[in-house]
Amino acid sequence: MAVEKRHFVCVVCPIGCEIDVVHDGSKIISMKGNKCEKSEEFVRQELIEPMRTLTTTVRIQGSRWPVIPVRTDKAVPKRLFPRIMKRLRRIKLQAPVNMLDVVVKDIVGTGANIIATRTMPHE
Amino acid sequence: MIMEVDVAVIGSGPAGLTAAIHAHKNGAGKVLLLEREEELGGILKQCIHNGFGLEQFKQDFTGPEYAERLIKEVERTGVQCFLNTLVTDLSSDRVITALSPEHGALEIKAKSIVLAMGCRERTRPSVGIPGTRPAGIFTAGVAQRFVNIDGYLPGKKVGILGSGDIGLIMARRLTLEGARVIGVYEIMSYPGGLKRNIVQCLNDFDIPLRLSHTVTEIRGKERVEGVVVSKVDGNLHPVEGTEKLIECDTLLLSVGLIPENELSEKAGIELSAATKGPITTEVMETSVPGIFTCGNVSTVFDLVDYVAQTGAVAGTFAARYASAKVSGSKQSVDVVAGENVRLLFPQRYGFQDDLVLFVRAAEPVEKPVTIEVAPPGSRINRPYARPNEMLRVKIPKGKLAEVKQPIRVSIREK
Repeated sequence: MAVEKRHFVCVVCPIGCEIDVVHDGSKIISMKGNKCEKSEEFVRQELIEPMRTLTTTVRIQGSRWPVIPVRTDKAVPKRLFPRIMKRLRRIKLQAPVNMLDVVVKDIVGTGANIIATRTMPHE
Repeated sequence: MIMEVDVAVIGSGPAGLTAAIHAHKNGAGKVLLLEREEELGGILKQCIHNGFGLEQFKQDFTGPEYAERLIKEVERTGVQCFLNTLVTDLSSDRVITALSPEHGALEIKAKSIVLAMGCRERTRPSVGIPGTRPAGIFTAGVAQRFVNIDGYLPGKKVGILGSGDIGLIMARRLTLEGARVIGVYEIMSYPGGLKRNIVQCLNDFDIPLRLSHTVTEIRGKERVEGVVVSKVDGNLHPVEGTEKLIECDTLLLSVGLIPENELSEKAGIELSAATKGPITTEVMETSVPGIFTCGNVSTVFDLVDYVAQTGAVAGTFAARYASAKVSGSKQSVDVVAGENVRLLFPQRYGFQDDLVLFVRAAEPVEKPVTIEVAPPGSRINRPYARPNEMLRVKIPKGKLAEVKQPIRVSIREK
């Protein structure tokens, strides 16, 4: 691996620190611009595999609304978003569902669960 | 039905929910929360993305989770909630007229009132785009509601005018749902939304952001067939010869938000030309004694945490007003915008609490800046000032006791 320079904008919080990193593969040689240690962890992870929380909706029956919002319960590899979306398109839930109920366990082998982000009563 | 309450809160988004909770916490006996929709929570219900509450709860919530947390707290308090209830009139002596299928015509006499009606989106007429009037033109928030609550995809090939946060969030959302977002066009030379949204909504999905570009024509008869995008010069005028036809079936508009103050006007509340919201003191009291304001009806905030904070203050002081029957601010001084300040909130200081100022820069400064608040002559440093990111500074009450002249707020390069 060769020593490279890369520019990142940290997305951990709304400040959005602009970070210049000198790295060798996934090894950070130096970084500047970050205001807290959280962005150091963010950059480390970006160099290995960019991870994000996925938020979307899935179909639901027996409730006021035809869809219910869901998310992954931890960050998953960004490159798997299309696969997760494809898998979730096949799902149809039945109301009632409570907030934080697990909708799909271990989505596409990521180790993350898909959880509901609101309560949807039966109507 | 005629009712009498201590504190009435109009609107149940994050501002109204927080205000109701804090009115209750501060001893208001009868608190009534009025909501025109069928559920509590306001616009948070359709903001299914995460990033809410990082500042307030130190946790990363989605909009619905943030709302449900507040709703559960409201349910524990005994605050009375009227849903499907539309407020049609508000008087300066604090009488609310409202309509609801369940309760009929309502006349609510309140000892104090909290305004929490939020804001609405600017539309095509407010930016004046020439061209035809086909189907397929939506404000970003309406498209967000269609996708996230009603389960419809509003289009397959989408252009987005304006880089406000909702537009950026929708660029990602529509892409995930299988639509193709061709580009985001922003008339200003800097983005409207938060930087993290540029990264995780556009860059993550290779969606181009064209700064200093705008839509100069909409084409299509029944349905949008395309939009003409042009470069703009330093005066924001389209540059001839730079027109480019972008084929798309949908145009989303993310061109700004305006506080929704029709009711405030009916009550004779003085509005600020800069924020388009009520002129407010540090305890969120408007120019009409006993009527308080919070959240995006006051000024459009960047973060829900700020919205909730103003809700907490408004609820607290509305409860105090209801029990003491004294208008907080007998005397007050103006807080005015100085150098490089486009708008600020609150606009008056009434010597009752710390002054928590929200300041929006007029021009971006990508260097360390000093925010000067004079009198009392406080200087607060920040690493930069960007028009799309509100600055928040706090001046303790103790430092302001002797102030007699207007308080001027300026942003200067350090």
